[in-house]
Amino acid sequence: MEQIIFYILAAIIVIATLFAITERHTVHAIVYLVTSFFALAVIFYLLGAPLVAVFEVIIYAGAIMVLFLFVIMMLDLGHPEKVSSPGWRDWWPATLLGGVLLAATVLLLTVPHAGPAGGGAIGVRDFARALFRQYGIAVEVISMQLLFALVGALYLGRRR
Amino acid sequence: MRLYLSFILLLPLLGGIVNTVAGRLLPRRLAEWLACTAVAASFGFALAAFLSYRTPVTVELFRWLTAFDFQAPVALYYDPLAAVMCLMVTFVSTLIHVYSVAYMAEEEDYARFFALLNLFVFAMLTLVLAENLPLLYLGWEGVGFCSYALIGFWYRDEKNATAGRKAFIVTRIGDFAFGIAVIWLFRMCGTISITQINGMGTAVPAGAITLLGLLFLVGAMGKSAQVPLMVWLPDAMAGPTPVSALIHAATMVTAGVYLLARMFPLIGSSATALAAIAVTGGVTAFYAATCALAQRDLKRALAYSTISQIGYMVLGVGCGAVTAATFHLLVHAFFKALLFLGAGCVIAAMHHEQDIFRMGGLARRLPLTFWPFLAGSACLAGFPFTGGFFSKDSILAAAWLKGGALYGSLYLLGMVTALLTAIYTFRLVYLVFAGPPLTVPPPLMGTPTPTLPHQGGGSIEAPRLMEAMLIPLALLGLCGGVLNLPAYLGEGWLAGFLAPVPGDGNMEASSGLEMVLQGIAGVVALIGLAIAHVRYSGERRARLIEAAVGPPSAMVAFFQNGWYVDALYRFLFVRPYEALARFFWTRVDEGVVDDSLDRFAALLGATGQGLGRWTNGRVSVYILSLAAGAALLLAYLAWVVL
Amino acid sequence: MIVPLAHVLILAGIIFALGLACVIAWRTNVIMMLIGIEIMLNAAMLVAVGGSRLWGATDGQVFALMIMAMTSAEVSLALALVVYLHRRKKTVNADEFDSMKG
Repeated sequence: MEQIIFYILAAIIVIATLFAITERHTVHAIVYLVTSFFALAVIFYLLGAPLVAVFEVIIYAGAIMVLFLFVIMMLDLGHPEKVSSPGWRDWWPATLLGGVLLAATVLLLTVPHAGPAGGGAIGVRDFARALFRQYGIAVEVISMQLLFALVGALYLGRRR
Repeated sequence: MRLYLSFILLLPLLGGIVNTVAGRLLPRRLAEWLACTAVAASFGFALAAFLSYRTPVTVELFRWLTAFDFQAPVALYYDPLAAVMCLMVTFVSTLIHVYSVAYMAEEEDYARFFALLNLFVFAMLTLVLAENLPLLYLGWEGVGFCSYALIGFWYRDEKNATAGRKAFIVTRIGDFAFGIAVIWLFRMCGTISITQINGMGTAVPAGAITLLGLLFLVGAMGKSAQVPLMVWLPDAMAGPTPVSALIHAATMVTAGVYLLARMFPLIGSSATALAAIAVTGGVTAFYAATCALAQRDLKRALAYSTISQIGYMVLGVGCGAVTAATFHLLVHAFFKALLFLGAGCVIAAMHHEQDIFRMGGLARRLPLTFWPFLAGSACLAGFPFTGGFFSKDSILAAAWLKGGALYGSLYLLGMVTALLTAIYTFRLVYLVFAGPPLTVPPPLMGTPTPTLPHQGGGSIEAPRLMEAMLIPLALLGLCGGVLNLPAYLGEGWLAGFLAPVPGDGNMEASSGLEMVLQGIAGVVALIGLAIAHVRYSGERRARLIEAAVGPPSAMVAFFQNGWYVDALYRFLFVRPYEALARFFWTRVDEGVVDDSLDRFAALLGATGQGLGRWTNGRVSVYILSLAAGAALLLAYLAWVVL
Repeated sequence: MIVPLAHVLILAGIIFALGLACVIAWRTNVIMMLIGIEIMLNAAMLVAVGGSRLWGATDGQVFALMIMAMTSAEVSLALALVVYLHRRKKTVNADEFDSMKG
């Protein structure tokens, strides 16, 4: 049952992302991407990471994508006819390189490797303990980085 | 003895160094005084060393160049040959130094001049006193360098600088052979000490000795201006006259003869080498005498006479008569220095006019120059009972005594040369000193006429100091024969003194034969004088001067240009060498070496430009490059794993 | 583990390739390039979470969270830059901003 859901979600992600990157209208692309991220959040949940799934929805689909929308609207970029979209000249190197990367990855994955070590689902308690005990310093660093980003954004955004 | 020898060497070196370093800062008088005193004191020490001489000594001053079994210490060897050479070199050099003070009174660059003079003497003394061949070679090269710098002393004139270079390059050919000989000797004998090598004698294979003798001969050819390497000496007249005197009399051209005399014990055992030496000397003597006949430049004529006289010395060595050669070397040093210094007086008095056809009547105006010059000429011409007479005769006698077709013909050649010598010597005397005192010289065609010296009237005068230097030389030249009187007049001192010098063939002529030979030589000299008198005195002289305005006849031009040897060398060596050099320059160096490097550099530059166009600042290109690199890496990884 | 890890990784690879293609192809629009970067980062998160599930270790999830935090910082700065640049040149074409040309 869960396997079938995984493959369906995978198909949704791939198709939605494909639409997102080929969509000329940026706002539409964002919406496709939000769809894709929702599906990815469910996959996270299926993989036993409920907290990450929740954060994916809140931060990615909620905050970051909305930030994109804000900027698009602020800069009035919602007119696809004004922005030249990539033609065949732009797509073929992208396809080629992406294809090479994908083919290499798949080829590498076909090599048999050591079996899974096995492990159960990870509870929220374990996750939180690891996050704040083991990676406490990393959390502090990330929070400082967010602060810097905030200051930087303020500096760049001020009117002269 | 160690002290004396050290000071003989060190004083000129010290004078040279002080004048080099601080000469320009010193007052002029002090610089001159320093140079003269250094050499004079060196002469004093040479005299002291000579007086306290008992037996040949080797003095090692300090070690130098020691590697495995190669030992070349700075060691001096003082034997009779070195003793007389030292005395002569320092004495003549002292007089020339004092003379230079007056001669170069107008010269701005006196410090350089006196420093080089002192170094010149130092190098020659090193050469003379050296105990081993590398040290001798060092002095040899030092002499070569100083002569180069002094011949080109007035280097601002292109002609003088060229003459200096020519001297340096031509003597370098000889030095090359000498260097080969030194290295070969070390390879063969395992030592480079002259005394040890000379002691080996029979241990060295005969063929090697012959070749070594020839190599030494080539070395001597270069330094002593023998045929075929004699072309540099006439051009060396470009230097100041005291330098010419120094080169000719004391410090340069005698080095080759000295080398041959030094190495005689080794090379004397090879008849072939000796014959080659003798032939070289005889041919050179004759060649230069013919050239001297036609010269119109006073100093060039004297230069050719030097070549001729050195040829006699080499002939003497070739005949095995080292004593006679040394004797002639000494006497020649005196009278040739005298002649050059006298010529310097004349030239100074004539305001640097050197053409003998534009002189005349100087006997009355420069009596103090004339009489010593006459004495020197008598010596050069080999007049009976002058020093030159005895020394030249002893060489010719040695050639006669050697016998055989080769040496017999060399004796005849020497006699003819003696005749020619007398003729050209008195040609000089008649043209320069005789005749009406105030002939207005005919303008020389071609050359720009300098201010006519005679018109100033009464300006003909040479400095007293210069003339004073001539007198002791004249006395020594005239009485030089006393040094080595022939047996019938008493025991020869020089022969007795030089007796310990090994290898001197003991060829004792009977008194009667010697008297006959000397009689012939004296008669020949007198005949020469007679011919010169007929040709160059009185009416004939005036007519000659008239004729000299026009172009010279073919034969005169032939002799005047030194048998066109210069032109021949230019055609044979200089031209092909220049062509070869130009080929290597334009085709090989510029065409291949430079060009390939240029092209390579251009290729690299173009590649860099092409790659540089990649960084065009467009983000998309950078991203694409990054992605391509990543894809490449991953693909490679997959390739490796699978 | 509901599906083999390989399948998760292949899915991540596909997403990553799509994101890369988006970044390369959309050179005329900086915002689409940023979206491509987001897609690639999501692929990375998927790998981390998948590994975490496989080995039962929490580190993968922690890193996924870190990536998210870092992304939010990066996006805020990047969008601020886009606003700034758009204000200067009135365009979002990435190739217009080539003043760092060597």
